[in-house]
Amino acid sequence: MIVAALDFQTVSDAVATGAVYALMAVGIGLVFGVLRLVNFSYGQLIMAGAYTLAFTSGWPVWASVSTCFAVVIAISLAMELTVFRPLRGQSPAVMLVTTFAIAFLLQAVALIVDLRNDFIGEVATSISALNEAITVGGVEIRKVTIVAIGAAIVALVLLALLLTRTTIGLHTRAAAADFRTARLLGVRVNRVIMFTVVLSGVLAAAVAVILTVQVPLVSPDFALHDTIIVLVGVVVGGLDRLWTATLGGFAIGFASGMINGALPTDNTVYLPSVLFGIVILVLLLRPAGLFSWGRRASAERV
Amino acid sequence: MTRTTRWGALGALLAGAAALAVLAVGTSGGFAAPTAKKKVIIGWAFDSSGNMAPFDNPALAAARIRIKQINAEKNGTVTFEIKTCDTQQNDGAKAKACALSLLDAGANIIFTTCDVDYATPVVTEAINRGKLAIAPCIGTDQMGPKRFGAKGKLAFSFGNVAQDEGSAMAQYAWSRGWKTANTATNTLLVYFKNVVQAFEKRFKQLGGKIVSRESYATGQSNVGTAVTHLNSSKAAVNVTSTAFGELPAFVNGLRSLHNNTPILNSWAGDGTYWTTNNPKVTNYYFVTYASVFGDDPDKAVRKMIADLKKAGAQVGTGGFLGGVDAIDGVYIAIKRAHGSLNGTALANQLVKFKHVPVLGSRISFSPTQHTVFGRQYRVLKIQDNKAKVVGKVTAKVVPKLP
Repeated sequence: MIVAALDFQTVSDAVATGAVYALMAVGIGLVFGVLRLVNFSYGQLIMAGAYTLAFTSGWPVWASVSTCFAVVIAISLAMELTVFRPLRGQSPAVMLVTTFAIAFLLQAVALIVDLRNDFIGEVATSISALNEAITVGGVEIRKVTIVAIGAAIVALVLLALLLTRTTIGLHTRAAAADFRTARLLGVRVNRVIMFTVVLSGVLAAAVAVILTVQVPLVSPDFALHDTIIVLVGVVVGGLDRLWTATLGGFAIGFASGMINGALPTDNTVYLPSVLFGIVILVLLLRPAGLFSWGRRASAERV
Repeated sequence: MTRTTRWGALGALLAGAAALAVLAVGTSGGFAAPTAKKKVIIGWAFDSSGNMAPFDNPALAAARIRIKQINAEKNGTVTFEIKTCDTQQNDGAKAKACALSLLDAGANIIFTTCDVDYATPVVTEAINRGKLAIAPCIGTDQMGPKRFGAKGKLAFSFGNVAQDEGSAMAQYAWSRGWKTANTATNTLLVYFKNVVQAFEKRFKQLGGKIVSRESYATGQSNVGTAVTHLNSSKAAVNVTSTAFGELPAFVNGLRSLHNNTPILNSWAGDGTYWTTNNPKVTNYYFVTYASVFGDDPDKAVRKMIADLKKAGAQVGTGGFLGGVDAIDGVYIAIKRAHGSLNGTALANQLVKFKHVPVLGSRISFSPTQHTVFGRQYRVLKIQDNKAKVVGKVTAKVVPKLP
């Protein structure tokens, strides 16, 4: 058996996974913060974006990527207007099951569309050049890794500025803290929710762009497994606040990469067991979230 | 003589005359009355629109063409009819209902989908009624007693068993002078794992050395780490058995790290539907049933592909051949069983198959191995996204796996 050394290469790969998962965690955490909705169908938004990139592979890169963003935002808004809004006020269990239903619906539609040529899978190569590697101190780092880390940092900084320095950000934070009171105080909550949904969609589209560089063959279950992992990471980090959720997403991606690197190379089949074993342990020790240090009772959710 | 006896005598006379006439025609070699061909109904539970559709649809389309040819044979002894039932994305309940409806409709033999887990409801119903259950392209040793117990003696697959495929891959690698190999196992499917295990066993028997063993799994987002490790391990060839999103991720991953070591994949990596333009797929090899790129060495196979395309079928991989060979195999078994359609009688003939000629190759079964071995594989190379036959290989041994 060959045990892989925990070298810089492994750390670099783990950071890349963590960065992508952090972006997904922000998207999931934002929606949860305002709507109190654990959106299981978030992965299918990413899948829809990835298919858009695949179907527009022959287009100029800017057009393909722009269309990807437009499609994902449109689907996000459609979900909010046709499903989530009419169901607002229902129990969290109803909302969660609804997101499951949407996820499976989108996946089934994707399968039908994809199978029109009797093959499953569409190749997305619009920005595949980002998969090339550069060597830094003997470590091969793919350009997409740098982009993923950069995108995660930029997204978080912009989001922080948006939420703290703008009126819509203030309204969003108010709605996240206490939806009913915010509404009574004149916050136009539907506008806030639409804003949140759009932001979440933008992040899903960004993740679609990054993931298709790493895995160019898009299939109906694209990003499904990643979404499940990130949802777990968000809970482990602390679902109640955006930054803890984001850190949770990053942590589970990073841990996944490091554990994968530490396991004997022919036995990475144990990765999920080890990873989820650690998750259970963390939740037993810190049920409120790994990063929820000194949390106040009325912590801000975004 | 009474009136009754007179009529009786006349009837007997006429009957005798008729018998003489039949005898005369039969012995003179003149206008023989056409012998009625025995009708064989194949009940085919297939998935037209789910994950198995890319495998089931071409196999079924090819089988239909082959059946037309057999039914048109002047000296044929049987005619085949296919009755189908769509399992609609291999829903378990629907698959079982399909099997029952096909059996009730008089199916003599049941055909099923190309994945043993999805096929199980159909196979179970068929073998419980003593019918032969056939899969055109399941690639593991699960179709048979190993999975279905004693009744599994009625279950067969015309796909290549993974052990045979891995062994053939090892022989090809060795014949190319590749004396060292890295292996990377996708742990998602038994088929993937068995191919790599068999490769390793046979490669070492031949004198080869496994330098590094990696593993990853579809959906685990860890193929990138496997690629990174492989890149730092020098060997003459990188061997895997994979499909889905991990296939381009594996190949592109290595090439984007400027690693141009040959990659050898199993039938799972057949086709060019997954190739990317940047980087282009280069130095990539795979083994398969038949080349669908217009250069298969067998003329009859090329003709079948042309017929399939004419019929509007999508032919993305060589797996369609399993559908044709399954019909041929069943036909041969029926002939050898003197026309019997009894499941046990046919199974007894199938296990005796040794280098039996079918379209494109020869195939074998054994009492313990109910999935095809001994088929001659085509080796194809993809260079700059273009696939081309570069060799043929037949496994000399089928390694036993733990």
